[in-house]
Amino acid sequence: MKKQITEKQLRVYAWEFILLVLIISGWFVSEIYQNSRMETNLDKYMPQDHPAFIYSDMAEEWFNIRDGILIAIEHPDGIYNSGTLDKIREITLALQEIPGIEANDITSLYTADNIVGTEDGLDVKAFYKRTPQSRDKLDELQRLVRTNDMVQGRIVSQDETVSLIVASIADSIFSMEFYNQILDFANGYKGPENIYVAGRPIVEGTMAFLGPKDMKTMVPLVIVVIIVVLYIALRSIRQTVATLSVVLLSTIWAFGLMAALNIPIYAVSIMIPVMLIAIGVAYGIHLYNNMQLYAGKNPDAGLKELIWDMFRKMWKPVFMSAFTTIVGFLSLLTSDVYPIKYFGLFTAFGVLMAFVFSLFFIPAFEFAMPGRYKGTGKNKERSQKKTERFAQKFADAVLKHKAFVISTTIVLLIVAVIGIQKVWINSSFLENFERNSEIVRTDAFVNTHFGGTSTINVVLESEENGSMIRPEVEKLMVQMQADAETLAVVGNSHSITNFIRRMNQVMHSDDKAFDVIPDDQELIAQYLLLYEMSGDPDNLWKTVDYDYRKANIVVQIKSDNSKDLKQVIEILEKYRQPFDELNVQMNYAGSGYKALVFTDLILKGQIKSLLMSVVIIILLLALMFRKLSLGFIGSIPIVLTATLSFGLMGLLNIPLSTTTALVSSIAVGIGVDYAVHFIERYRVNALRTGSKAQTVIETMHQSGRAISFNAFVVIMGFMVLLFSAFPPNRSLGALVSLNMFFSFIATVTIMYLVIYRSNIYFKKKQK
Amino acid sequence: MKTIQFLLLSVLVILTGTIQVSAQMSGKEIMEAVYHNPTGDDVQGQLEMRLINKQGNTRVRELQRYIKTENNVEKTIMFFLNPADVRNTSFMNWSYSDGRDDDQWIYLPALKRIKRISSDSKSDYFMGSDFTYDDMGDRHPDDDKHTLVKEEVLEGQNCYVVESVSKDPSYMYSKTITWVMKDNYLGLKREFYDEDGRLLKILRIKDFKKISGYWVILHTEMHNIQKDHRTEIIFSEILINKGIPASKFTERSMTMGK
Repeated sequence: MKKQITEKQLRVYAWEFILLVLIISGWFVSEIYQNSRMETNLDKYMPQDHPAFIYSDMAEEWFNIRDGILIAIEHPDGIYNSGTLDKIREITLALQEIPGIEANDITSLYTADNIVGTEDGLDVKAFYKRTPQSRDKLDELQRLVRTNDMVQGRIVSQDETVSLIVASIADSIFSMEFYNQILDFANGYKGPENIYVAGRPIVEGTMAFLGPKDMKTMVPLVIVVIIVVLYIALRSIRQTVATLSVVLLSTIWAFGLMAALNIPIYAVSIMIPVMLIAIGVAYGIHLYNNMQLYAGKNPDAGLKELIWDMFRKMWKPVFMSAFTTIVGFLSLLTSDVYPIKYFGLFTAFGVLMAFVFSLFFIPAFEFAMPGRYKGTGKNKERSQKKTERFAQKFADAVLKHKAFVISTTIVLLIVAVIGIQKVWINSSFLENFERNSEIVRTDAFVNTHFGGTSTINVVLESEENGSMIRPEVEKLMVQMQADAETLAVVGNSHSITNFIRRMNQVMHSDDKAFDVIPDDQELIAQYLLLYEMSGDPDNLWKTVDYDYRKANIVVQIKSDNSKDLKQVIEILEKYRQPFDELNVQMNYAGSGYKALVFTDLILKGQIKSLLMSVVIIILLLALMFRKLSLGFIGSIPIVLTATLSFGLMGLLNIPLSTTTALVSSIAVGIGVDYAVHFIERYRVNALRTGSKAQTVIETMHQSGRAISFNAFVVIMGFMVLLFSAFPPNRSLGALVSLNMFFSFIATVTIMYLVIYRSNIYFKKKQK
Repeated sequence: MKTIQFLLLSVLVILTGTIQVSAQMSGKEIMEAVYHNPTGDDVQGQLEMRLINKQGNTRVRELQRYIKTENNVEKTIMFFLNPADVRNTSFMNWSYSDGRDDDQWIYLPALKRIKRISSDSKSDYFMGSDFTYDDMGDRHPDDDKHTLVKEEVLEGQNCYVVESVSKDPSYMYSKTITWVMKDNYLGLKREFYDEDGRLLKILRIKDFKKISGYWVILHTEMHNIQKDHRTEIIFSEILINKGIPASKFTERSMTMGK
């Protein structure tokens, strides 16, 4: 049948196929334009049904726990002058008018409650309503703040040069436009004061925005470099175009399907094109590699023959590697985190499409294009001879220095295993930015002057009404707060106990000796009643609930680094047991804690699915090659790559984060690719030649060449990311390149050595 | 029989006449009628205060309250009955009609001391409720400019709708709108607008009754729309004009419980 079709007819079919692919791609592009949207609400990333998140969301509702935008106003000569105080007042009032900001929930020196003792009672007053003008009044205000621990060091810095305005916003409100609006707004108050804008929503929002934005500029550069390097490797414009089309089309289809199914683009979705570039390029290279080699040996072969040979020889390894890669990515569906599930699903779909396009689009493209593959000229023949010689030398060298290869591998593995123990997880958002970036410096500035820009909320709960005002419970809270505050990273903590202590003190003629929790629960209850009668008790309801059954302790931390957060939690955990003895349960809440849990979930899921996919791939390879031993041998590049890359991260102090963990998927996708191609080629050559020496040289020449091309192309492409302005993308580039390199080296050295020594396919002949 | 019919008829004519006359009352006259609604020389009774927050959590406090007006000073004393840990805490307020700030005292039994509370202004909320001290007391009609906006039937009651704007521009409400029942000159509903003219709170009278010849409010609710926080106050066991001695409204009395 096939032989009867003329090339002309084939060309028509090819065009029809290409047109069909382009039409569907066009539809996907329009879907992307119409339906694609970035998900910037970080709450949407979290598994809503996870107990930690359910609890935190509940607690956030109980105590109105919100992330705040911090505006710090600095006057080098001190804030106690009418101008600065006026600005604090104006900013506070103006913030109340900005939609999205909770008008009732703005904390500043202007809105703060001053609990003071009067000659015969207690009063809760504003620090100022009209801006004080005279020196006397300004001095009086300064004195009032200095004597109030609930304000000094919290709203006004200890050195009195900075004051803080905190505006709570709803979780969903943050957007880049909103941030810019706040920045413009705040900067309008500059001079002579300096204005700084910080806070978790800003850090989170900027990161969710900057990563993809940086990718938008970097990915085209990566592609340009890949085009150049592909051309250098393939020496053919049409082959370069075809190989790249496979990658681009599969990416478009993956994102198009996502858009058509109304699934938003998450921050991790930017890893999809990264995976598809690294994996998709490989298929094209392997196919063309085969074609070039065949053409080299059969200079008179026509296009039909070349394509037929390519299809016949390559469909199986390409299918096997695609299939195993797809299964590897689908194992991510076991993750608890939806963005990761989607990442796995759509990368798997993209790989499937890259496979389909490689096998069908590339031949169609070859038939459809005018002109024809010219086979190999003299130069090319010579260069092929050269690579063949090089392959032979390389194969010999590996065999000759097998002791070296094996011992190096073992040493590297040992080092990697040591390194892996040093791997640490980091959920810090801030550390994703440049050290001298505006956002980091602002955050550092606020942290040096105030309690901390990150928070962990400790939520206490009891069955009994009034439990939280029991003196034993309150005293334990005080102890826990003091204990946490001994850590350098903990700037402050705040709870109901701060109110009680302050009131106890001012009710005893401001005697410092009474800055303690009284022993009498009725007195505590009566203080709180007094506070309610004296002022606006809304601040109180952020620390306890109506029945005094629940309490919220806010621990302010000067870092959002997981190590620091865990250190704080470690101290807090010491109080779980003592609280339990008082029938009080302890839990955590708030965005800082959620981020910590979230990162843990992602990483554990990622490592779980990595292990799972290795097992599945071993089984699949064993099944496909019909030898269990080949399953294990084929998994060598994956295991080595993953181990080395995690080990290196530990040794180089690169923390595991959501992106760096996902890079290990490359180890699976690429590692299995290389292994499959190499083993399949080895098998074919072994069965054909029956000679081990010949098999080795040919396999090394054919498969090794394609593998090295692929590694070379992708490594060069991703090295571009080292010049990214966004640090996480830089480590991404480095890690992808390293993974490619490890996979490549592991395949052609240790895996080759093992397969050679195992005598598979030569058993009968050897002895 | 004829005479009776005639009498009834003339009563009806007179009544309709008065209604027509009163329909022409000005906003100011209506609010003065509300202000001068007789309340008795002294009132005592129990008061249940329910505070309900956005999440629907409720706190209940029970107090015994005594009110007496003497020499133009309205004196109130309240004793907490519940919750248990604040029982016998008492609160006393003297409100002066000459514009002086109120005097307020609180007695904390755990501290065994009477403390004076000096409130910054009347805009302070009363015990964490949605009522300010000002909302609790009667505001003198001369403090505001009143306009009769319309008349309408609300919850089956014929009402005047009066808009009141404070003569003091720094007053915490930009305006209030009051629905006054024509029958008894009790306010049935009042809307409070904040400084920016946005609706802030709605006060509703849910139950009222004539006791010992005086109109008494039995159940009232204040709903802060902006915070979605509500306060309900239910009055019970009301006694009027029982001759509460002046000695009930002293610091000494505060320490002795209800």
